[in-house]
Amino acid sequence: MRFFIQELVNGITQGSLYALIALGYSMVYGVLKLLNFAHGDLYMVGAFIGYFVIQWFGGPMALSIPVPLLLLLMFLLAGGGVGALGVAIERFAYRPLRDAPRIAPLITALGVSFFLENAMLLLFGASYREYNTSAFISFSTGIHIGVLNIDIVRIMVIVLSVLLMIGLTLLVNRTKLGKQMRAVAADREAAEMLGIDVDYVIAATFFIGSALAGIAGVMDGLAFNTIYTLMGFVAGLKAFTAAVVGGIGSIPGAMLGGLLIGIAESMVTGYISSTYTNLIVFGILIVMMLVRPSGLLGKVPLQKV
Amino acid sequence: MKVRISLAAMALTALVAAGCGSSSNSSTTSASSGSSTAAASSGGSSKTCAASIGIEAPITGQVAVLGDEQLAFAKLAIADDNKANGTNITLVQGDTQLNPAQATTVTQQFTSNSKIVGVVGPAGSQEVQAVGPLMGRAGLAFITGSATNPALTDSGKNPTFFRVVSRDDVQGPQDADFIIKHLHPKALMIVDDQEVYSTGLVSSMIPVFQKAGIKVDHESVSQKVTDFSSLVAKVTPQTTVVVLPWQVAANGEQFGKNLQEQKKNATIVGTDGMQSSSFTIPGSYVSAFGPDITAIPADASIVTAAKAAYPKFGTFGPPVYAATHVLDEAIATACKSGTPSRASVLAAVKATAEPTSILGQPIHFNTKGDLIGAKWFLFKINQQGKYVLVTNS
Repeated sequence: MRFFIQELVNGITQGSLYALIALGYSMVYGVLKLLNFAHGDLYMVGAFIGYFVIQWFGGPMALSIPVPLLLLLMFLLAGGGVGALGVAIERFAYRPLRDAPRIAPLITALGVSFFLENAMLLLFGASYREYNTSAFISFSTGIHIGVLNIDIVRIMVIVLSVLLMIGLTLLVNRTKLGKQMRAVAADREAAEMLGIDVDYVIAATFFIGSALAGIAGVMDGLAFNTIYTLMGFVAGLKAFTAAVVGGIGSIPGAMLGGLLIGIAESMVTGYISSTYTNLIVFGILIVMMLVRPSGLLGKVPLQKV
Repeated sequence: MKVRISLAAMALTALVAAGCGSSSNSSTTSASSGSSTAAASSGGSSKTCAASIGIEAPITGQVAVLGDEQLAFAKLAIADDNKANGTNITLVQGDTQLNPAQATTVTQQFTSNSKIVGVVGPAGSQEVQAVGPLMGRAGLAFITGSATNPALTDSGKNPTFFRVVSRDDVQGPQDADFIIKHLHPKALMIVDDQEVYSTGLVSSMIPVFQKAGIKVDHESVSQKVTDFSSLVAKVTPQTTVVVLPWQVAANGEQFGKNLQEQKKNATIVGTDGMQSSSFTIPGSYVSAFGPDITAIPADASIVTAAKAAYPKFGTFGPPVYAATHVLDEAIATACKSGTPSRASVLAAVKATAEPTSILGQPIHFNTKGDLIGAKWFLFKINQQGKYVLVTNS
């Protein structure tokens, strides 16, 4: 039972990060019907911002500020910085193509992804970098019962992810901006005719989605230690899958999809074999999509006649 | 709006230029410093010994971390040898991304560049297999610092190929033998990283473990994964050894931290790519095709320069320094009897007889291109995170 709980916690930790990235995919798809393939790379940029914040304050072995303040700065700067980068990408790469055939922004998104990866590679090199979290947050803090060991960083990742998801749900369902986002997602032209500033709403969507990816990048570095310039590709792919499984465009769906993939990966690794993890997990997903093509919580679009 | 777009375009261009600048700058520095050194040290000689060497390495892509290290060490060797020999050797970079198709394209570019008289690399055995015949037809000597598949020299298909490292059929079984005799596991976990290098070593070790009656849990995890907690949860109290033949040291470090996090006491045994300052889990072992050059007193000046150029270097750089040095010396030798050509450089490489090298061993090739007396090194990481040589053979 404890082994099961250990694997469940491992899966929820990884799944929380997939979910946070998937939210950005889903939000952008919701308002623009665009698959923003650069989204995984924003997550990578966030991880690097977090890393450089640690270095700015003396490095993991000799921090010059208290750990809670460091964490706060890492999340704020990564969230804000990556959010701003997301807005810039939307403004200069996607907005000029908003009325172009859908293949054009899709290809541009791939281009932006490669640009970000290679720009980071050229600027900061290919070396793997380490947060070395254990130097400033002890493994001994957390839950340790028999063979069950959950360190404080994993608990923080799970709690913070849940809080962010609740916050986003409240923002979308209870605020004016959220209502505008839902209106733009439902029908952009009609929303514009009703006086909604569509450009502002789309920029805000990009900012929020990108900021979540940036924060997820920092959490990845804190929990899993290693970051590198191409880390966004696989994470982005898994998060995209999570968004599709949950029902692309659906915020609760992205959360559910992310958690499901994370837990499935962990359980297959734990109970079957890591050799077959991707084979089995993606096999299940293919079957799931065949049974329910719109995703678990997705809605079948109404046909306009 | 146009102003904003122009500003954005300028910013993007500056970003790319900054990155490209840093890359091409170092290359030019290497060439130009060689040129100025040549003028100074040849002291009035009317003819400069000039030639180009190509380097095939994964400078971008998933294992760019290895390629960057190799490139840095090749540049160091060229700078040192230009200074020592009064030559003007320049380095031409070819990015293979560890992809045989890309390596073939780069090789075609190199073979059609008449200034290139020798090549360092490529890094991967699969790439050597792809480019060997092309290099052979062009009469171009190429020396790898990391391709270890035995068939590359046994097949006879790569007549101009050389390597300055040992072969897989030495390292894998010897690693397994050491684990059985010195760590005495009843059960062990062995995890490949789904790359040819790793799966090859795993295949050569598992039969040795099974023959010794050890219970083996063979796992497989992508090199791109950075969380191993689910895998570590499977390490039982009876599993006292975890073998990680991986290329990414930082992943090994994270595996070790996941073990500590879950309070597991298994000893990690890694290979080659794990020998790096990024992997410092105390009590772990690392076997490598290259030595720890920081522990070789004669390499002190190279280590200082290497730390400045590539602070976290591991196993993949020093053999490339050795390979580049062999070519540099071959060019210098060829220059003594005229302008260096591919044929004269190839002949000089075949006749290489260096009594010592950066690798702490002589360099002398057999007729197949393998290093005679190639050593295998095993290190243990002490409590301070330092690599201590356990054995070499």
